[in-house]
Amino acid sequence: MNQARTLHVRCSTWDQVDVFTTRKLRKGKLLSMKVPFETIAGARVTLGLELPNQLVVAIDGVVQRASPIAAEPGKIESSARTWIEIELTGLTDDVMARIRTMASEEADQHTPQLGATPGVRRKTAPVVDDLPADEKALFQHLSGELRRLRAAAVHDVLGVASDADAVQVRTSWKNLVRRHHPDLVARRNAPAISHLAEELTILSNRAYDRLRAALVAEGRGTIVGPTLSAPAGWLVGFDDIASGDGSVGPRPSQPRLQHVPDATPKPRTSPTLPPTNIQGGEAFEQRARVMLGQGQAQEAREVLAAALVVYPRSKSLRSLYYVATAMVALQDGEVMLAISQLENALAHHEGCHEAALLLDHVKKFGADRNQDLVRIFL
Amino acid sequence: MSRAVGIDLGTTNSVVALIDKDGAPRILTTEEGSTTMPSLVWYASNGPVVGERARAGLDHSPDCTIFGAKRLLGRRFDHPEIRRLARTLPFELTEAPNGDTWIQLAAGRAIAPEEVCGLILRELRRTAEAFLHEPVTSAVITIPAWYDAAQRQATKDAAQIAGLTVLRLLSEPTAAALGHGAHRGADRRFLVCDLGGGTFDVATVDVDAGVFEVLATTGDPFLGGDDLDRAIVEHLVRDVRQARGIDISGDAIAIERLRLAAQRAKHELSDAERTKLAIQELAQLPSGRGVEYSRVIRRDELELWTSPLVRKIEAPMLEALSRAGRRREDVEEVLLVGGSTRMPAVRKEVERVMGQEPATLRNPEEVVAIGAALEVARLDGTIEGVLLIDVAARGLSMSTVESECEMVIAQSSIVPTREHRLLATRSENQPRIEFDLWEGESPDPARNRHLGRYAVVDLPLAPAGDVLVLVEVTLDTDGVVRLSASELVSGERLTLEQIFHAGLTRAEVSRLAKQVAEAET
Repeated sequence: MNQARTLHVRCSTWDQVDVFTTRKLRKGKLLSMKVPFETIAGARVTLGLELPNQLVVAIDGVVQRASPIAAEPGKIESSARTWIEIELTGLTDDVMARIRTMASEEADQHTPQLGATPGVRRKTAPVVDDLPADEKALFQHLSGELRRLRAAAVHDVLGVASDADAVQVRTSWKNLVRRHHPDLVARRNAPAISHLAEELTILSNRAYDRLRAALVAEGRGTIVGPTLSAPAGWLVGFDDIASGDGSVGPRPSQPRLQHVPDATPKPRTSPTLPPTNIQGGEAFEQRARVMLGQGQAQEAREVLAAALVVYPRSKSLRSLYYVATAMVALQDGEVMLAISQLENALAHHEGCHEAALLLDHVKKFGADRNQDLVRIFL
Repeated sequence: MSRAVGIDLGTTNSVVALIDKDGAPRILTTEEGSTTMPSLVWYASNGPVVGERARAGLDHSPDCTIFGAKRLLGRRFDHPEIRRLARTLPFELTEAPNGDTWIQLAAGRAIAPEEVCGLILRELRRTAEAFLHEPVTSAVITIPAWYDAAQRQATKDAAQIAGLTVLRLLSEPTAAALGHGAHRGADRRFLVCDLGGGTFDVATVDVDAGVFEVLATTGDPFLGGDDLDRAIVEHLVRDVRQARGIDISGDAIAIERLRLAAQRAKHELSDAERTKLAIQELAQLPSGRGVEYSRVIRRDELELWTSPLVRKIEAPMLEALSRAGRRREDVEEVLLVGGSTRMPAVRKEVERVMGQEPATLRNPEEVVAIGAALEVARLDGTIEGVLLIDVAARGLSMSTVESECEMVIAQSSIVPTREHRLLATRSENQPRIEFDLWEGESPDPARNRHLGRYAVVDLPLAPAGDVLVLVEVTLDTDGVVRLSASELVSGERLTLEQIFHAGLTRAEVSRLAKQVAEAET
């Protein structure tokens, strides 16, 4: 049983070779397959990989795992199969490089076959040679494009820089769809070409979708339905916050954020407002703290909600938001809600000392002695 | 050489159009000289009669004369709207073995709505062939934008039964925008409202340098001229009871006569302030004497009766706007298409909701078919530089035996698109994995529409969780779903088995297609 067996793998096209070396191998070395004989882990096998140019490459391997499949009753013994996993010890980088070189040389000489990856493999691969000359050129162009884009990262698919903004992403997606949409080749009445065009469009639509999601997560875009636009006026209201003297001039003519109408805190005259030169989330944080110290929990919460739209990932802002919510709850006498909010705050940001102090206080006194609480923030 | 046509398959009326050699759109007229053909099929004793000639059947044998089959296409029999509809239709509905809605004919034969629509499509095809003197083998067919995957497939099946290849299923509001010539004008932001015989559709469409981008589509599948007629009939039945002391609500023939009269009155009241409705013989008294009924209807009466229905158009319009992230001020042009938008009350309601006067089209019934004909020209390359980018009207979800529905493709995803889910085996040497596909995004299966149950079979034998199956769901430009499964590690294609599937099977469709083709020769 321990003798070396030879397994013959035949690849009739270079694309199959490509699939073998890229998709079939796990971790570049492991190959799972069913074999029609019994074997055990540790057994040695030799894989004979027959390439389309009739060259057979012998690759040594060791069976790593073998799960025998009992012969089904009523079936002859030889139908028993074993599910094995082979580690191809003989598949060194050297061998791999050799196969790749041969594949690329052949690919240049032959017309590319449809089906670079299993995603487009079809039962009846269309024969490229049957197509008229101009369609053949188009076919080759599209399948080359498809192969290139399949391997590309999403922003490369759309041809934008990885930090492209919403407008760039949308424009380049539109251009790509204008170039590849299956409707544009429908008149040719060639299923293979329509299929390639559809695959290309799917690829661009997905890339657009992923990039949109990423932009939204970073707070650099808004999406409604299939659209993508730059966030209109996320920072509106910032000037109001920063004006420490309380004398707010005429409002800047920036577009206002529609769906957070309360986001703009009313400039309250207070001597303790933060200085004007603080930028970033800290300005919001300081202002919210001052408000909490003055017992204006509701207003502080609104400021923090607005701030979180701008800095969705700021832990301290988020925990402070929960603290403010807890303060509002305490003012309404809802101790349980307050406690859960404070625990939320700590869960988001362990170092939020206000939350810790408040939690102690609430556990000791309940909703009473609220007046003492504001001192925490001063 | 065979030709392609554009077909507006309507609930009450259907239209066929094509682009002339000189590039002008042309609506084809039926034998009777009308540009629209009633979507009627009368299953007479000597075979089905389609179109204008089937009108006789409405009077004669309403239980064998099928109208509004489009509303039954691809719908489940247990859907509450179908249950409600079944009570008011003069013909009977029945449940197909797979839960679809079929029509029960008096002769004990049940027919699929696909077959009825197939006969209507074949009649339209004949009209086109008579005009062109050459065979017509393919068509662009318009469908309501909110059609789900099963309804889209059912429409394709109906076309196959009629011997037509579907070049594209085009959503009606998009077709209307195209037919309106939006691609020739300046770049604008449109809201298209299509109130037809049986359905109400809304779409937010942006036109930018020849690219039509559909941002959102919604609608009400059970709101249209037929419903308005029914509301009028309900009031007239009450009126007959008061004036004549007889109850005709159980008399199918009387109701049908009343419905036809109400429809005529509704049409007249779009231009006139008042009209007279007169029926020579509405019903028979037990003595055998006929009951005559006549009444003057004023427009304000009509508007009062139909106002609960007319008010229903507001919600889908607002939804279409909000899904596209638009305020009503952002919309630059409101297009009204569909016969029912001729009613002044509908125009007024749209104007109230949108705060602007809708554009007036000369031919609200035909513009969709022209759009479909233009789509044919666009696909065959006669018209260049126009591109349609459409979105999925509804999301798709997937669930396995133990899990809740999980969204795969989100609503408003741009089509074509493809997403995948990974399924893992749960026990050692598990040979197959079953999963369900749903339309809708709710985690609760009861709130989604079941599209089918599938099984990935012949899995390699391995310990539990070691076999990972990659299921890819593709939504193509027609909004039709395709599935494929492969083993994640090896990339090997696996066999997908269909266990349950809404709609007709391939075999049934080809059998019906053959049957219809044979009847033709």
